[in-house]
Amino acid sequence: MASDKKYWKSVEELKAHSPLIEKLRNDEFVEEIPIDEFLGNKESLDNSSTTRRDFLKYVGFTTVAASVAACEGPVIKSIPYIVKPEQIVPGVADFYATTMADGYDFASILVKVREGRPIKIEPNKLAGGTTNARVQASVLSLYDNNRLKAPKSYDKTIEWNEVDTQILAKLNELKSLGKEIVFLTGTLASPSTAQLILKFKEKFGNVKHVIYDAVSESGAVEAFETMYGFSALPNYDFSKAATVVSFGADFLGDWQGGGFEADFAKTRVPKEGKMSRHIQFEANLTLTGANADKRILAKPSEQAFALINLYNKLTGNSLPSKKTSVDAEVEKAAKQLKSSGNKAVVICGINDKNLQLITLAINNFLKSEVIDVVAAKNIRQGKETEVNNLLADMNAGKVGALLMYQTNPVYTMPQTANFAELLKKVPMSVSFAMNDHETASVSNFALATPHYLESWGDISVKKGTYSLMQPTINPLFNTNQFQDCLLRWMGSEETYYDYLKKYWESNILAGTSWAQTLHNGFFNQTAKPTTSLKSIDLNLAAQEINKTFISKEFELCFYTKTGMGDGQMANNPWLQEFPDPITRTSWDNYVTISEPDSKKLGLQNFNVSNGALNGSKVNLTVNKTVLKEVPVYIQPGQAVGTIGLALGYGRSKGMKEEMMIGVNAYSLYNNFKNYQEVSIEKVDGIHEFACVQLHHTMMGRDIIKETTLATFNDTTINPSETWNKTTKVSMDHKMVPASSISLWNDHDKTIGHHFNLSIDLNACTGCGSCVIACHAENNVPVVGKAEVRNSRDMHWLRIDRYYSSDMNAKIADEMEIGVLDKFNQMEIPSNNPEVAFQPVMCQHCNNAPCETVCPVAATTHGHQGQNQMTYNRCVGTRYCANNCPYKVRRFNWFKYKENDEFDFHMNDDLGRMVLNPDVVVRSRGVMEKCSMCIQKTQLSILQAKNEGRIVADNEFQTACSSACSSNAIVFGDVNDKTSQVAKLVQDQRAYHLLDAIGTKPNVVYHVKVRNTNES
Amino acid sequence: MASHYEAPIRKPLIIGEKTYHDISVDVAAPVEGKANKLWWIAFSISLTAFLWGVGAIIYTIGTGIGVWGLNKTVGWAWDITNFVWWVGIGHAGTLISAVLLLFRQKWRMGINRSAEAMTIFSVIQAGLFPMIHMGRVWNANWVLPIPNQFGSLWVNFNSPLLWDVFAISTYLSVSLVFWWTGLLPDFAMLRDRAIKPFQKKIYGLLSFGWSGRVKDWNRFEEVSLVLAGLATPLVLSVHTIVSFDFATSVIPGWHTTIFPPYFVAGAIFSGFAMVNTLLIIMRKVSNLEAYITIHHIELMNIVIMITGSIVGVAYITELFIAWYSGVEYEQYAFLNRATGPYWWAYLLMMTCNVFSPQLMWSKRLRTSIMFSFIISIVVNVGMWFERFVIIVTSLHRDYLPSSWVMFSPTFVDIGIFIGTIGFFFLLFLLYARTFPVIAQAEVKTILKSSGENYKKLRDGNDH
Amino acid sequence: METTTKKIHALYNDDDVLLLAIKEIREKDFIIDEVFTPFPVHGLEKALGIPHTRLAYAAFIYGVIGFIFAIWMMNYIMIVDWPMNIGGKPNFSFYQNMPAFVPVLFEMTVFFAAHLMVITFYFRSRLWPFKEAENPDPRTTDDMFLVEITVQNNENELQTLLKKTGAVEIKLIEN
Repeated sequence: MASDKKYWKSVEELKAHSPLIEKLRNDEFVEEIPIDEFLGNKESLDNSSTTRRDFLKYVGFTTVAASVAACEGPVIKSIPYIVKPEQIVPGVADFYATTMADGYDFASILVKVREGRPIKIEPNKLAGGTTNARVQASVLSLYDNNRLKAPKSYDKTIEWNEVDTQILAKLNELKSLGKEIVFLTGTLASPSTAQLILKFKEKFGNVKHVIYDAVSESGAVEAFETMYGFSALPNYDFSKAATVVSFGADFLGDWQGGGFEADFAKTRVPKEGKMSRHIQFEANLTLTGANADKRILAKPSEQAFALINLYNKLTGNSLPSKKTSVDAEVEKAAKQLKSSGNKAVVICGINDKNLQLITLAINNFLKSEVIDVVAAKNIRQGKETEVNNLLADMNAGKVGALLMYQTNPVYTMPQTANFAELLKKVPMSVSFAMNDHETASVSNFALATPHYLESWGDISVKKGTYSLMQPTINPLFNTNQFQDCLLRWMGSEETYYDYLKKYWESNILAGTSWAQTLHNGFFNQTAKPTTSLKSIDLNLAAQEINKTFISKEFELCFYTKTGMGDGQMANNPWLQEFPDPITRTSWDNYVTISEPDSKKLGLQNFNVSNGALNGSKVNLTVNKTVLKEVPVYIQPGQAVGTIGLALGYGRSKGMKEEMMIGVNAYSLYNNFKNYQEVSIEKVDGIHEFACVQLHHTMMGRDIIKETTLATFNDTTINPSETWNKTTKVSMDHKMVPASSISLWNDHDKTIGHHFNLSIDLNACTGCGSCVIACHAENNVPVVGKAEVRNSRDMHWLRIDRYYSSDMNAKIADEMEIGVLDKFNQMEIPSNNPEVAFQPVMCQHCNNAPCETVCPVAATTHGHQGQNQMTYNRCVGTRYCANNCPYKVRRFNWFKYKENDEFDFHMNDDLGRMVLNPDVVVRSRGVMEKCSMCIQKTQLSILQAKNEGRIVADNEFQTACSSACSSNAIVFGDVNDKTSQVAKLVQDQRAYHLLDAIGTKPNVVYHVKVRNTNES
Repeated sequence: MASHYEAPIRKPLIIGEKTYHDISVDVAAPVEGKANKLWWIAFSISLTAFLWGVGAIIYTIGTGIGVWGLNKTVGWAWDITNFVWWVGIGHAGTLISAVLLLFRQKWRMGINRSAEAMTIFSVIQAGLFPMIHMGRVWNANWVLPIPNQFGSLWVNFNSPLLWDVFAISTYLSVSLVFWWTGLLPDFAMLRDRAIKPFQKKIYGLLSFGWSGRVKDWNRFEEVSLVLAGLATPLVLSVHTIVSFDFATSVIPGWHTTIFPPYFVAGAIFSGFAMVNTLLIIMRKVSNLEAYITIHHIELMNIVIMITGSIVGVAYITELFIAWYSGVEYEQYAFLNRATGPYWWAYLLMMTCNVFSPQLMWSKRLRTSIMFSFIISIVVNVGMWFERFVIIVTSLHRDYLPSSWVMFSPTFVDIGIFIGTIGFFFLLFLLYARTFPVIAQAEVKTILKSSGENYKKLRDGNDH
Repeated sequence: METTTKKIHALYNDDDVLLLAIKEIREKDFIIDEVFTPFPVHGLEKALGIPHTRLAYAAFIYGVIGFIFAIWMMNYIMIVDWPMNIGGKPNFSFYQNMPAFVPVLFEMTVFFAAHLMVITFYFRSRLWPFKEAENPDPRTTDDMFLVEITVQNNENELQTLLKKTGAVEIKLIEN
C-alpha cells in the first residue's frame, strides 16, 4: 500500500535532519556528474569524435528513452525493514490503551496504530472513557507540521545539552540570588509529576507551582475547598438524577471538564415510562440548554439571584436576594426538585465562589445522590488568587525563572493582565510547548515537548482513579518531555519512564502488575472519604453576591465551542471545519445576540446569492479593553440583554495562515469571570460566515418526530396512528403503510449479515464526536472556509439542528393565515425555540434512488444492506446526489489532497500519516459518502472467520457508533435476532426518515420524547 | 396538368417567375458568390464566443467542476439546463422534415434543409454538456456498453442518464444520415455547376457521385419516407427520455408523470422559434425570399402559438396536480417555485412561454417579420428559464430543510453557455456559405404545383 | 446487351413532356437504358416499368435485428453476466426488470433500421465518397432530363421519333 511505503520514507525523514534524506531531497544526482571534465577542457572536446550525426543520434535516443521512461507510473522508493519489529504486522492494527491529557481534555482512550502510526482514537470503554470531538481529533495534532521540531532559544534552534547547561547555570544562579523559581502549568492532574515538582523544590528551594486554567473553574474549586477542606471539584453521576436544575452550567459541554453526557443520556431514554427532567436557566443557547426539557432565559445577574431564591424556596431560609423575572419558574423548579427528593441536583456554571457555595449548600440540603464529593475531580485546579499573586510577583520582579508547561498565558491572559510585558521582567522564561505559540515565541527558551501520543505520563482524573499515558510512536521530532528535563536538571540519571514506573509501583499499584496496568491503561481504587464538610456562613456569601451581581444593559457570556475548547488545538483543520452544533457555523467565532437586540442595534444577518451567510460587525468594549470587528450572529434563544462570545479563537502564532481566524475573546476575559459588562457599537463592514446549515426550521415536516412523555406513556393510543405516525397509502382500497408496498419482488435480506444503524434522538446530545470520528476513520478531506461557504462541506455524517417556530399548521388554521404567510413565518425560529438534533448520514436505502440513476453502476447495493459507492468506477455525473432525498452524498469538486489550494493536513507528508490505509483517498471528480464503515465490519467478519466463531454483537461497530458516548448511535446485524440493534429496530419509537418515499432505509431513528411533566 | 393540380386556395410557396434553372441559380448563389461584410462580422463574433467557451471548458476540465457554481444540494444547474435547452431546439428540424413529410406538407421543403442543419448543430451543443458535466470526463467512455479489461464491468440500463446516451447518439446519427441523404442531389447540382476545379472536387466528394438515375430517385424517395417514419417516433422519444431524467427521480418538482408530453411540446416550441430566428435572417442575407416566404413564417408562428399554449396548459396542470396530490413536499416545491427566492425566474418563464405566443392570434402580428423575430428570441429565453426553473428550484429546496441552499453561477458557467451559442452560429454560418441551404431538388418537384406563375396560369385556364 | 456501342442521348427540358415521350418511345419498342433527371419525376419509374424498390422491407428486417440484439445485450449485461442489486430492482429476472429497458430497446431498433437501410441504399445505388458521377450531361442535375437509348441500326427512325416527342437536343454517342 502506497501509504506504508510513504511511512517508511517518512521515518527516515523524521530522524531530525537525517543527512541521507537531506541529500536525496536537495541534489537530484547523488554522485557528482562529470560535466566539467567533459565540457571543461576545450581540446578534448574538439578532438572528441562526436559528429553532428552522432549528436543527433544521442538526442534521438535520449528523447525516446525519456518518453519511454515517462510511460511508467511514479515510483516511490521505500526503505524496507532491516530488522522487522515483531509487534508490527503490516495491515494489522494494534490498539494501545493510553490517556489524553492536555490540561483541558482528559480521557482514557485506545489508540489504533497501523504500521507504527497512530491513526485513530477510540474511547477506552473498559476504563469508562468517553471521547468528545476534540479528543477524537487530537491524533491529527500529532502530525501537525507547525509543531516545534527542536528546542529554541531566542528564535534559534539549539541542542538539548546546550539547553540543559544554560538553564541549569541560570537556575543555580537564581538559587544563589534567592530569587523565586515558578512553575506555571495548566492542570496536570499527574501524581508523579506533582511529586517530581516537590523533589525539584527540595533541590532548588525557593520554588512555587502555580496552576492556571485558561478557562477557569476557580470559583467552584475554591468553594469546594472552603466547604470540604481540599481543593477539587465535585463529581456528578447524572445517571442517578431524576431532576436536574442548571443555572448556566453547560454540563453537556465543557463545564467543569465535561464528560457527563454518557451518564446523563442514560436517564434521557424513557424506561418504564420514566425519564429525567432537566430545567436550564441560561443566557447563551448552549448544547445543554438545547437538550433541556425546559429552558428559561435569564441574564447571569438574574441567574445569581434566581439561585438564591431557589435556595430560600427550598430551605425556607431568607438569604438576602432580589426579585427576578424568572421567580415563577424558580418556584416550579423548587417543586420539581422537592418531588424527586435525593434524586435531584442543582448545578451552577457561573464562575463565582459564593454562587458555587450556595449551589453546594442546596445539594447538601437535598442530600443529593447525584453529587459525589468523595471521589472528587482533579481536572481543574487553577485558583484565581494564586494566579493573581503570581502576576503581582512578576510585576514586582520577585520571579527569577518562570517555567511554563501546558499553558499559553500570553494568549489566554486578558489584555489588562498584560502578561507579555510582565514576562519581560522575568530573567529567565522557559516555555515547554508543542508549537511556537504566542508564549513560546516570546520566552527565552521554547522547549519542544512531545505530543501525548509520544509521551509517558499518569493522570488521576478523580480521587482513586488513575490512568497511564504511554507513547504509541517514537517521537517524531527532537523533543523532550517536561518531566525528563526536570529530572536532568535535578541531576538525576533516570528517565521519566523509570521514575514513573517506580512511583506507581511504590505509591499506587500496591502489588498489581505494572505491565497489566499499562495494558489496561488504568487502575482504580475506591476513594475513601477524607474530610467532613465545614459549616459556612451563607449569609455572607449571599451579601457578596448582592454586591457583585448588578444587572447591566448588556452582559457578555463567554463560552467554549464544542469544536475548539480553550483553543490549544486551533491548528487542527478537523476542528476548525467542525460545524458548531448550535450555530452550524465553522471556521469562526462571533458574537451571538438575540433578535430583538440585533434590531435595536441595527445589526443584521443575510444570505447572498449563493445562499452563504453574511453578518454585521461590532466593537466590544469591556472596561476600556476594546475587541475590534467582531462578527455578529443572530442567535435564537439568546437571552435579551446578553451576548455570547466563544473563547479559543484568534490565535496568531505558530500555526497555518488559514487557521488564524476569529477574534481572541480571552483579551476580555477579566479576572476569570465568564460574564462581563460589555458595551457594543456597530462598525462598518460585513463578515462572511461559513455556515453549513442555512435554513433553521423543519417547515412543519415530519423529519424529527417528537412527543411528550405524557403522550408517550398513554397506553390507550396507538403510536403508529399518533405520535409515531407512519405514512399510509391506498392499496387495493385498503390503507397500508407506504413503505410496505413495492413495484417488484424484494431481494432476500435474511441470508448472512444485514446491517442496521439505530439513532436515538433522545440520547443524542449533538456533541459531534461522531462527526470527527467519521472524519478520521474515512479520510474525509478538509475543504477550508471558502468552500464550506460555497456549501461544499464534505462531512459524511452531519448533525442537523432544527429550531421550533412560532408558526405551525395548527396555528395557521386557527388564525386563518394564508399558506404563503404560513410558510414564510415557519421559516422564522422562535425567540426561545425548542431545539432538536438529528445525525444524518447515508441511510443505506434498500430501494436506493441514487443507485438506479447511476449510468455506470458505480453505486450499487451490498448483500449486507450497505449502499456501496465504487469510487474508481464513478465518472461524476452527480445524478445520484441530486436524486438523494437525504442529501448525504458529497462530491469531490476539486483535488483535495496534495493541492496547495487546500493546504491542510492532506497537503504534506506528515499530515497524510494520519490517513487510514483501509480507506481509499478519493480523487477529484468522484462522489463519496458514508459506507457504514464497511472496512470495519469486514474486518470483524474476517477475524471471526479466522477464529472459527460467530461474530459477537458488540464487535460490529462503525466509527460513529463507537465514538458515541451517550450510546445514541447503535450499529449491528438485524439478522442476529439477539443483537441490540435488532431489538431497537422493533422499538415502538423507531421510524424511518421520509418513509413515505419508500426508500426503505437501513438507518432507523427513535422518536424524541420531551419530559414536559411539571410536578 | 392533373398531376400538378393544387387547390387555388393554397398560397403559392415559390414567389415570382421561376423556372427549374432559376431555382438552381438561386440556391447556388450563396455558395458561388462571395461572403458579404455582414457575414464576416457575424462570423467573427461567434468565433470569439466559441473560443471563450473553449477556454472555459479547458479551465473546468483542468481544475475541477468546483469552478462552477454548484454545491452539495444543487448538483446540476446551468450544465443540464443548457443540455435540455439545446436538445429541445434540435427537435424542430426533424419534426419539420419528418413529420411534415409524412403529412405531405409541401411548405416544409423551403425550410427543411436549414431546419435539419440546425438540428444537427444544436444536438452537437447539447451532447457537449453531458460530457463536460462529468467530474471525470476523461472516463466518459465508461457510459458505453463496451467490453473492457474487467470483463464483467458494464453499464446500468436502469439509469435514465444511460437512456440519454442511447437516445442522443441515435438521434444525432440518424438526423445526420437523413440530412446527408437529402443533400446528395443538391451537392451533385453544385458539383455540375462548379467551374473551379477545387469546388468541383469537393462537391464531387460530398455528393458521393450522385447521378440522378430513375432507380436512384426511386430509392431516394423510399429511404426518405422510411427515415421520416423512423425519425418521427424517434424525435418524440428523445425528449421523452430526456424528461425521464427528471420524471423518474424522487425529487418533488421532478417526479412528474406529465413531463414527457410537456417536454416534447416545449421542444417543438423552442425549436420552431429558433428556426424562425435563423431563417428570418438567412432569407434576407442569402436573398431567398422567394422560397422562404411570409407564408412559411406565418405557418411557423402558428405552430409556435399552439405548442406555446400546450406548454402553458402543462404548467397549470403541474400546479393543479401538486395541490391535488395532497403531498406536502410536492405542494411546497411548486409554491416555492412560484413565490420562493427564484420567483423571478418563474415569472420570466411564464411571460415568455405562455403569454407572449398568444399574441400570434392576431394575423397582423404573425405576418410581421420583425415581430416574429422578436418573439422567436423571447420564446427561447423563456424556454431556457423553464429548464432552469425545473432543475434549480426543485433541487435547492427538497426534502430536508437542513440542506436547503441557493445557487448562483460563476463566470465559467456563463462562459461555457455563451461558448456553445457561439459554436452553434459558427457552424450555421459556415453551413450557409457552403451548403445548398434549400432542398432544391425537392422544391423543383413542387414548382409546377405551388409555383406562383404556374398557379396563376392554371387558375387562368380554369375559367 | 448487343455488341454495338452506339447510344443516343435525348435531352428534354420539361418533366411532363418527358413522361409522354417515354410512353411513346416504349410503345415503339425501343429499349431505354437509363433516364437521368434533376429531381424525382413522379410516375416515371412506372412509365419505364421499373419495379418498386424493396428497401422498406429491408429496413423492417434491420429493425427486428436491432430489437433482438438489444434484448440479448441487456439480458446478458444486466441479468446474466454480472447481476447487481441496483436500487432493489429485480436484477434476477429480465421480465420484471424489463420496463427499465424499453427506451433502449426502442432506440436500438431505430438505430439499426435507419443506418443499415441507408448503407444498403448507398451501396445499391453505388454512392460513396470519391465515387465518380455517371450522369452524361451536367445539366441533368439542373433542369435537363436525359434519356439514354442504345441504337440498334434504326438510328434515323429513332431520331425522328425523339424529335417528335419534343426532345430539345439529341446527341449520338459513338465509342
